[in-house]
Amino acid sequence: MKYHRWFTPWVLIVPALAWLLVFNLWPSVNTVILSFTNARPIGGGTFVGLKNFETLLHDEQLRYALLNSVIYMVVCLPFLTIFPLLLAVLVEKKLPGITFFRTAFYTPVVASAVVVALIWQWILDDRGLVNGLAEKLGVISGPLPFLSDQWLLLLSAISLTIWKGLGYYMIIYLAALGNVGRELHEAAAVDGASAFRRFVNVTIPGVRGTMVLISILISVSALRVFSELFILSGGKGGPGGRDNSVVMLIQQYSQGFEGNLGYASALSIVLFFVTVVPMLVLARLNRKGAEA
Amino acid sequence: MRSRRLTPVAALAVAALSLAGCGLGSSDDTSSGSKPTVDANTQVTGEVSLQTWALKPKFTSYVEGVIKAFEAKYPGTKVTWLDQPGDGYDKKVLSQASAGQLPDVVNLPPDFALPLAKQNLLLDVAAADPKLSEEYVEGGVQAYQYQGQTGTFGYPWYLNTDIDYWNATKFAAVGLDAKNPPKTFDELLAAAKVMHDKSGGKEYLMSRLPGIGDFTNAGVKVLSDDGKTFTFNTPEAVALLDKYRAAYAAGYLPRDILTQEYLGNSKLFTQGKVAWTTGGGNAIQDFVKDNPSLKGKVVPSPALDTPPLYVQGLSVSAKTKNQAAAIALARFVTNAENQAAFAKIVNIFPSTKASANDPYFSKSDGTPESDAKVLAFASLAKAKSLQPAVISGATNDFINQQISLAIAGKVTSKAALDAAVAKANQLLAQ
Repeated sequence: MKYHRWFTPWVLIVPALAWLLVFNLWPSVNTVILSFTNARPIGGGTFVGLKNFETLLHDEQLRYALLNSVIYMVVCLPFLTIFPLLLAVLVEKKLPGITFFRTAFYTPVVASAVVVALIWQWILDDRGLVNGLAEKLGVISGPLPFLSDQWLLLLSAISLTIWKGLGYYMIIYLAALGNVGRELHEAAAVDGASAFRRFVNVTIPGVRGTMVLISILISVSALRVFSELFILSGGKGGPGGRDNSVVMLIQQYSQGFEGNLGYASALSIVLFFVTVVPMLVLARLNRKGAEA
Repeated sequence: MRSRRLTPVAALAVAALSLAGCGLGSSDDTSSGSKPTVDANTQVTGEVSLQTWALKPKFTSYVEGVIKAFEAKYPGTKVTWLDQPGDGYDKKVLSQASAGQLPDVVNLPPDFALPLAKQNLLLDVAAADPKLSEEYVEGGVQAYQYQGQTGTFGYPWYLNTDIDYWNATKFAAVGLDAKNPPKTFDELLAAAKVMHDKSGGKEYLMSRLPGIGDFTNAGVKVLSDDGKTFTFNTPEAVALLDKYRAAYAAGYLPRDILTQEYLGNSKLFTQGKVAWTTGGGNAIQDFVKDNPSLKGKVVPSPALDTPPLYVQGLSVSAKTKNQAAAIALARFVTNAENQAAFAKIVNIFPSTKASANDPYFSKSDGTPESDAKVLAFASLAKAKSLQPAVISGATNDFINQQISLAIAGKVTSKAALDAAVAKANQLLAQ
């Protein structure tokens, strides 16, 4: 008796396919469609061709948002690729009480981004912990404008991201370090290599693939940053909106009764391409490195 | 091989572009609101839904009482009450409107009602109810009439306005008298300077950025008569911004006003960090509840210049299947008797002319809370809607951003206002 027919596999994948089409593919296609319209949350819209894309070419807010995103990525990338690795090497050791340090470094990862950003807002406020302490110690005469200066606000948000990301990437590195052969380290030590040389010549090549993966993850999340900047700036994107990220702009344009869904979709497409570029570059670098 | 690879991409693009033409309504609809198709005086019967905004559980018994009274007055009617949470109410209404499932009678402030009226989703209630303008105060009715739209798109339900609140302790510490607070913007600036100078720069009086309402108060014409262009980049507006800018540069305002969200000043006032805020007639109760150390220290006074008018109202869905009952319900909930009863438990003010002489609102028992209520009620007589309803959230955000840039000294006041007007006009035209 043969129950299988040619269409049986197709029937079996229908639920997964339907899910994929409805919840993955359609929203993406719909975003592309909307980007060519002046759609509103109510009342629909009409086809406007490339008008949204022409408008965003002259959008000063977008220029600032892109600049902020790129600065975010350029600063976060080296910090969050290297420091978590160093941390992982340190806490990898089997020493008494090392679990405390592993947990301590991982704690910010567990905390919600919103809660963390709110706490940092209180810390960095003009009348917050840092300014208050520094003024009491006589280090500064007046509060530093961490949350009201365009560049200091961006720097504060970047610091927050780095602080919160260290533990997360450290855990990934810890897993990768477990796969670096102990015998390689032992052989290098026997050959007289110092700890630093063993780190450079054994550890780093051993986790190179993970470093690339982490770099890609950092690039993508840095370019899509939202909650840190949103909360530290009180939702306003800093003075004059100059600390907006692209995601914040998308949110601002799409919300409310008069939300411009078409323009927000066009911004989403820009963000998509901006995000894909560093991913492709890093993947290509990785492939070249592996071939070398 | 290459063309075979490109085929699915091309197919997807064609599908996307062809879909772009369908499923989207026209935005060229210029009609002005939906006219009722039945006389409001026809027999009222059948089912009707009422949506309110964050009234449960505090006011459940009041609303249920009103509904019972309505059902008793109109036998054969059945009211289904929906109450939505306070947060995200606009999103909820938006999704209801998009899905064509707006409740029959719905609580909408004027700025929420405007986009729905533009899309013919709300009924012109004045067309069904000619006595509307006779029974409700002018400002309340006008709030639901929009430039470029014909009709009145809601029954005013309740009103509020802002008065000023001063921290008497902080005033006394720098030699100012809270019983004789500033009465004009220039006096406010002068007092802010005194507070800054006498406290060694540690205390602040002002903690807010100017907004469209301040321009209106300064005599600036914000919107053209036809409602199609913004006009607030005038020399008067520049002068006002310059005054704020100079005050900010001199340190009379805290720096974080550039990042504070709306209501930031009342939060700072509650925390005892600034000495002045604006708020509704019942705000004094919240200050003291949230910070008991402020008890006895808060002095209310009338708002500077023209007080702002805040209106809540009940609109009727144009798609209601029971127009007569929906109109009757909206009118019943907002009638003088029901509004007065509501105002006495919520501390807001009724929008019916008949309530003006109610001593509850017009006579103080001598407590600061009661003084504040009476002051706010008296202010309603000259209160005006200071910000046109056509200013959407995105427009408001952009204007505020430009104002922030000017105050921070990044651009000139004129350049900021020109940029704000240009962007606001662009958003208005879309």
